Amino acid sequence: MTAMFGRSGGHGASRDREGKTAGRKKFFVRRRKVCKFCAEKIEYVDWKDVKLLASFIPERGKILPRRISGTCALHQRKLQTAIKRARSIALLPYATD
Amino acid sequence: MRLYDIVILLTPDLSDEEAVKLSAEHRKLLTDGGAQLVKEESWGKRKLAYPIARKREAYYHLFQVSALPGAVAEVERKLRLSDQVLRHLAVRADEELKRSAKSAERIKAKAAKRPPRPAPPPAPAPPEASVEERTEP
Repeated sequence: MTAMFGRSGGHGASRDREGKTAGRKKFFVRRRKVCKFCAEKIEYVDWKDVKLLASFIPERGKILPRRISGTCALHQRKLQTAIKRARSIALLPYATD
Repeated sequence: MRLYDIVILLTPDLSDEEAVKLSAEHRKLLTDGGAQLVKEESWGKRKLAYPIARKREAYYHLFQVSALPGAVAEVERKLRLSDQVLRHLAVRADEELKRSAKSAERIKAKAAKRPPRPAPPPAPAPPEASVEERTEP
């Protein structure tokens, strides 16, 4: 109990101080990307939900990469199959120009 | 019995009534094959994301069906032969739904195990009036 308190207390305090000073500076403030499906607790990625899938399809019609959307690996895999299914029945484009 | 999602695309050359009639025929085809209808949705005439057989739109119709695999295979064969059906997609849904439910449970269990996040410390904001009082004397 005491050990835990000491550890978390020490770390927390120093991080807090850092956070405050870093927060004041305008640069290096990057928004943390969160997996949309985890955040909204969407477990089943429905391939019929065009609105949801379309949000992961940029202009060109390609699938938005994980590194940009922030989707977790599990959900990106599910999203991938869902998009491919939706494409096969022309709900989504394979490519657009 | 397995759960299937079946979407069919009908030619836009049909009138609305004809499209309804044709989808009713397909429903009959499914139920005659021993499938139980769970859900049916008509999405109406939708624009296609890319042209299929020189058509730019199609009537979309969804059947959610609980059936044996053989029954769906038979219906799919017939769908492929039909000229009015531009395209179809039959996908098994139960496995994925089950897996999703399972992983959702796992996430929930994990969240329950983790101690709750400590509440952020309340902002120290002593009433200004009292501070002034203390500094005055």
